[in-house]
Amino acid sequence: MNHIKQLTLVDDDELFVYLTTKAIEKTNLVELIKVFGNGLDAINYLKEFKDNPHALPEVILLDLSMPIMDGWQFLDEFIKLNPRIGKDITIYICSSSISPDDISRAKSISEVTDYVIKPLTKDKFIDMIKRL
Amino acid sequence: MEKIADYKYALDESSIVAITDHKGIITYVNDNFCRISKYCAEELIGQDHRIINSGYHSREFIKELWRTIANGKVWKGEIKNRAKDGTTYWVDTTIVPFLNLEKKPYQYVAIRSDITDRKTGEEELRKSLKEISDYKYALDESSIVAVTNHKGIITHVNTNFCRISKYTAEELVGKDHRIINSGYHSKDFIIELWNTIKSGRVWKGELKNKAKDGTIYWVDTTIVPFLNEDGKPYQYLAIRSDITERKKGEEQIKESNERAVEHAKALQYKNEQLVDFCNIVSHNLRAPLINISMLVDYIEQSDSDSEKEEMLLKIKPVINHLMEVFNELVESIQVKQDTDVAYDRFDLKECIEKILIGFETQIIDSEAEISIQTDGITDIQFPHKYIESIFSNLISNALKYSSGNRKPLILVKASKLKEDKILLTVSDNGLGIDLKLHKDQLFKIRKTFHLHPDAKGFGLFMTKTQVEAMGGRIWAESEPGEGSTFFIELKNHLV
Repeated sequence: MNHIKQLTLVDDDELFVYLTTKAIEKTNLVELIKVFGNGLDAINYLKEFKDNPHALPEVILLDLSMPIMDGWQFLDEFIKLNPRIGKDITIYICSSSISPDDISRAKSISEVTDYVIKPLTKDKFIDMIKRL
Repeated sequence: MEKIADYKYALDESSIVAITDHKGIITYVNDNFCRISKYCAEELIGQDHRIINSGYHSREFIKELWRTIANGKVWKGEIKNRAKDGTTYWVDTTIVPFLNLEKKPYQYVAIRSDITDRKTGEEELRKSLKEISDYKYALDESSIVAVTNHKGIITHVNTNFCRISKYTAEELVGKDHRIINSGYHSKDFIIELWNTIKSGRVWKGELKNKAKDGTIYWVDTTIVPFLNEDGKPYQYLAIRSDITERKKGEEQIKESNERAVEHAKALQYKNEQLVDFCNIVSHNLRAPLINISMLVDYIEQSDSDSEKEEMLLKIKPVINHLMEVFNELVESIQVKQDTDVAYDRFDLKECIEKILIGFETQIIDSEAEISIQTDGITDIQFPHKYIESIFSNLISNALKYSSGNRKPLILVKASKLKEDKILLTVSDNGLGIDLKLHKDQLFKIRKTFHLHPDAKGFGLFMTKTQVEAMGGRIWAESEPGEGSTFFIELKNHLV
């Protein structure tokens, strides 16, 4: 089983973050979980540490609906930044939206590995990590 | 005698001469006669003069000729004769009877000159005149015709013109052509028309005119300038045909097209609202539901009572949040459905001042300076609760998102726009919003742009819903760090 050194959750829903963090921790597959409450904070972190692979996450779980900078806007910025990041980062969109528009839009972005509909259960997460 | 012979010679040289006896039997012809009649003298002499009769003249005409000369009087006239080869020729003819002692004619001398060319010219002229009058007849029958002089004064109208314009010819002739002007066409259009025909060119186009009784008719129009020798128009002939029915049809098509576009716009708007609503359900309602289900799962799976307790405590706030979103949605849907909301008449400035009283504490705490400019607008007519809610939201935002390092300055302004529209603006020198990032989301539900504990993303959504319910529109200008201005354009129902 893959082992994740660092995983980043980008989500403004504190309760969801709390419960998901707990679920991930229980899998014992992740060493460190970093949380950002909106896309801007997350992108700023990536910009700051783009040359330091150890400080960067292997996986990002990205919510869509967030204040300040939402998931789509984060992806726009990430696509611009990606070529200059010294690490392969896998992005999963993790949203409560079941709208087909959102899902097909996410699938059209090559930087997005998959679209996961909330809730993110322990089993779903293990499955996700297995595929890495 | 010699003199007489000279005269005869001159006559023979200059004219067509024939002599007949009293019965009309030819006794003498000169060379000119032979040349024009294409007979030789031998063929003519001894023949009745009728040999060259063309049959053109009436019996009455011939009788009258003979009566005159038989009575010893000179006859003058124009005669059409026929030559040997069947061609005809015209001769100006003088017949002089020579009288005997009893004063009875014993012979007639006919002196003629060839006028065939003149006669053919006359005939052709008559023919073309006939043709022209036929054309005129056809034109008058088929079209609406008017003639004006170079100044546009009507000099002639036909029956069709009178029928469609409902004026009599007497009422029209001598009047300026503007008598039927409907005022529909632009000044430039009319100037272009006049420039064309004044310069001698034909103008074609469609004109909307007004009849005497005020009804409107459309005519397809061709105006032909008639030019004098200097090439300047001395009169204009306007030929028209009635295209009112066609125009009516066109206008109806245009109208129904416009209506279709309106419908399409309304449908598109409804569709956008549906998409928005789908998003709201998908993101804003589903998210708290997921949290509840996750919490319940946790409680079910947990072995620790303290953990169960902890999770149970977390359910209540999620339910409250869900309830809040639900209520907001219901509120916004009510605004959209409440199409016949009451329009109250009230004083704008008073309304704003009242709202400011509600914010007194925040204003004092932040030392904000608020000014109101109403541009002479006093009474307005709108749903009072909407205007109150809109101003409350915008003023509340301006106070909430102040920059923190300078005194908040807020300007609430109303100004008149053209037609009966008014523009309401609320500007501040606060944090501002990055519109490059958030332009599309500014008025969406549950979208926030600052990390403020009270930011819920409902105020601007609701404001937009209310503005649109009143048929208005809302937009914003903003510069991060400089401030924001919100604009609302509304149609004041009180003019």
